[in-house]
Amino acid sequence: MLTLFRIALRNIGRNRRRTSILVVTVAIGLLGTTLSMSLLWGIEQQMIETATATDLGHLQIHATGYNADPKISRLLSDGGKEIDGLLDGEPSVQAYSHRIRSEGLVTSPKASVGLRILGVDAEREPEVSSIKNWIVEGDYLSGKRRESIVGRRLANRLGVQIGDKVIISAQDTQGNMTAESIRITGIFRSVSSDIDSGYLFINLDQSAHIFGTHEAISEIVVVMNERQSALPLQAKLSMNRPHLEVLRWDQLRPFIAFMMDTTQSVAASFYLVIFVAMAFGIANVMMMSIFDRVREIGVMLALGMSRTRLLLLIITEGVLVTIIGTAIGLALSLGIVGALSEGVDFSFYSAGFNDFGVGSRIVPLLKPEDFILPIAISMLTAFMASLWPALRAVQLQPAEATRHE
Amino acid sequence: MSILRTVAVQKTYSTRGIETQALNGVDLTIEAGEFTALAGPSGSGKTTLLNLLGALDVPTSGKVLLDEEDLASLTSAELSERRLHKLGFVFQAYNLIPVLNAAENVEFVLELQGIKPHERRQRASQLLERVGLAEMAKKRPPEMSGGQQQRVAVARAIASEPQVILADEPTANLDSTTARNLLDLMQQLNQEEGTTFLFSSHDPLVLEKAKRRILLRDGLIEGEEQGPYKT
Repeated sequence: MLTLFRIALRNIGRNRRRTSILVVTVAIGLLGTTLSMSLLWGIEQQMIETATATDLGHLQIHATGYNADPKISRLLSDGGKEIDGLLDGEPSVQAYSHRIRSEGLVTSPKASVGLRILGVDAEREPEVSSIKNWIVEGDYLSGKRRESIVGRRLANRLGVQIGDKVIISAQDTQGNMTAESIRITGIFRSVSSDIDSGYLFINLDQSAHIFGTHEAISEIVVVMNERQSALPLQAKLSMNRPHLEVLRWDQLRPFIAFMMDTTQSVAASFYLVIFVAMAFGIANVMMMSIFDRVREIGVMLALGMSRTRLLLLIITEGVLVTIIGTAIGLALSLGIVGALSEGVDFSFYSAGFNDFGVGSRIVPLLKPEDFILPIAISMLTAFMASLWPALRAVQLQPAEATRHE
Repeated sequence: MSILRTVAVQKTYSTRGIETQALNGVDLTIEAGEFTALAGPSGSGKTTLLNLLGALDVPTSGKVLLDEEDLASLTSAELSERRLHKLGFVFQAYNLIPVLNAAENVEFVLELQGIKPHERRQRASQLLERVGLAEMAKKRPPEMSGGQQQRVAVARAIASEPQVILADEPTANLDSTTARNLLDLMQQLNQEEGTTFLFSSHDPLVLEKAKRRILLRDGLIEGEEQGPYKT
């Protein structure tokens, strides 16, 4: 086996130009795939983080039927006490908070805008969302009456500044129209144009007052220590509680789940294109290499080398070249992703990204599977691509091959 | 008992519908310890017969027996096995593996036989010494002369301790001094170690050394002679 390996290794060093072309092809293929994927993962990750850190959390608990028909009257009438007790004793839960969620109309002297009104627990909300960190002007909610914070885009549309008053008009739990005057006390800027232009945050008490919910709340939003642990907690909370609707972030925002699936499909397509091209490259180079060595192969067969061993030799050569190319490609990829740890500035394209809840600076992200999968597929590709030339080689007749010019 | 035997062997090549009769019913027996040459002009069927005897090709009809075993009854893997253990080859164009040095070329056959690395190295070293190339062990084929390469080829051929060595025009690419030295070496191996040699050649130097000469013409054995070669 040692000599076999030695022959394979030396054979790939015989035609250095040809081997270099193949190594570079494999390396560029791997580099292109992993870099593209790292950017896609980065975008996906940011999209999930933005969504979960804004208003989604990892899990939301509502009264049954809320998501199909999110009326203000569908409330957790006990004010969330039943679930709070369970969440307090759950180690996988990082934080949770109560909200009253409704839709309404905000009117300023300049404009009226329909939007989502989120009544939040000013103290606990920063533990489940990034809203406090996004404040760019004025202050975050302090718990006082008539405070509100809005996104920069909404403020511009309404033509309001810090300290200006606006009127909230909405339907209360009894179906009556209600209106309340509040003051803009903070303006935030997130990476999502949807949130910046369509959300108004007020204190939970204020919200209860406007909508007449009393002690009841619309939702409990939960943030987990690990995103993945939302699934078991969902199952636990849902069990024997038909009056509750417990939904995960990806169920609440199916678009993100769709984007994740799309990313997986894009990854698969990338891999397919790159590896098909790689397979042709390997097969072609190996074929040329065999054609150059017909006599030598004939001699090996004449000396008693079994056809299985010959097959193995040629496949080893193809796989060895691919290993070198893969190692170089992945090393370059790691280096480049490491160098871009501060992120890549896509500000020239950020308007488009913001519509999807993604900022203009994307940090490329490489997952372990971004290495494992390409390595595995490369090796499989090398094996399959070398198999064809190898099968041609073992069909050579030693008597003819030893006389080949 | 014969080592190699052919019975009414015929071989026809077919190229683009044109059939060429290379061998036309050859009966031949090679016994252990022979130093025999297949002689004859180009196209007489020497190489074809050697290829059939070496299990490198199959006859169109007739039988080739190695150790009284009909080669036609063997699978491809079994034929490889017989070539590896019972036959040694020396080719006209040396045909060493270019990426391996002299010692590794000799070791190659030993490794195919499954001999352990330490023993392989030791035997390769002894064999190179036997053919007078101990100092060339680390040299690769392009760094050696034709004569040296052919000596390595002889060392490789005897490495597997075969029953017979088949040498196809072994001196064709060598000058007469180098050819003579190579033949002396082969003769020495034949006389001292009893190694059986079967050559195909029309080189008078080979025919002079051969104890038995089989003359082929037009795919048939025209005659044979033993003893001193008369030009």
